[in-house]
Amino acid sequence: MKRWRGLHLEPVWWGLFSAGGVCFAVFIPAVALVFTVLAPLGVVELNDQQLQAWYGSWWGLMFTGAVICLPAFHAAHRIRHGLHDLKVGGGFWSVLICYGLAAIVSVFALWIWFNA
Amino acid sequence: MHKDIQIKRYLPEEHAEPFWQTFHVPYDDTTSILDALNYIKEELDPTVSFRWSCRMAICGSCGYMVNGIPKLGCKDFVRNYPSALHIEPLAHFTVERDLMVAMDEFLQHLEAVKPYLIAEQPEPTEPHKPHRQTPAQLAKYKQFANCINCGLCYAACPQFGLNPEFVGPGAIALAHRYNLDSRDHGKVERMPVLNTHNGVWSCTFVGFCSDVCPKGVDPAAAVNQGKVESAKSMLIQMFRGGA
Repeated sequence: MKRWRGLHLEPVWWGLFSAGGVCFAVFIPAVALVFTVLAPLGVVELNDQQLQAWYGSWWGLMFTGAVICLPAFHAAHRIRHGLHDLKVGGGFWSVLICYGLAAIVSVFALWIWFNA
Repeated sequence: MHKDIQIKRYLPEEHAEPFWQTFHVPYDDTTSILDALNYIKEELDPTVSFRWSCRMAICGSCGYMVNGIPKLGCKDFVRNYPSALHIEPLAHFTVERDLMVAMDEFLQHLEAVKPYLIAEQPEPTEPHKPHRQTPAQLAKYKQFANCINCGLCYAACPQFGLNPEFVGPGAIALAHRYNLDSRDHGKVERMPVLNTHNGVWSCTFVGFCSDVCPKGVDPAAAVNQGKVESAKSMLIQMFRGGA
């Protein structure tokens, strides 16, 4: 069919990679700063109950997407192309393993949020 | 001042393998790599083969690997290399003889993306009028129009090295240049080439092509803007049911 001729999934992986790249650059350093430096030093106070309530809301879903799911696909894309550069793997299996792992991590993270 | 310059020689009729040869060359602050090569050819060894023409970074003929980095011989100077100086043919191309490479692979890719203005089809019936363009319309593509087809970006691109079918930075930059031109109507013909795996999608944004470009074209930007265009083009094809 003319509609599908020459189409492939690369733009989808690249879109997820780009979105994940922004998250990696913007949100992950902020999360690392808050949870591994500022909170242990007592600069910001994190209250467990408040945190749990917050995580259970839509903010928690956004956190899951921006800090776990999209960066996972970003990393998967990098690893896939890194393997290609090293002439390891390639083709269908690289796609399946790299993005499959990212998908499993994402589904698991979303499942935890859903049950929170 | 004198300098020992090592040149990678390849003389297929005499030696099966390439070999290094050292030449003792006088130089001063104004001696370009190309001047040194011309001195070698005229004074020391007339059998050394290399391409050159304009001596001012316009023709794009004198691309070589200088200490492993793609450079134009006329735009780089011996004084920039205080220690060793090795000159090799451009990487990733087939070597014909000494520093001369076959540019066919690049030229095939260049031809495939139709790097010229394509008229509206069917051509308008009224008499031809001049194609006017505002400074803002010119500014959109002007940077990408500075390409001199020297091939340094192909020698710099590890993805072209791994897969010579990759359309590559230079040809994609020129495709992008014509796609951005307000006078052009050929985007629909170019996109199917750019949309393939060997089109824009083979690029992993290493960015070395833009570092080595002697004309500041920034092919990496063209390729990655091309990915946005390609994604849009494929989406449109999917919804409209044809390219």
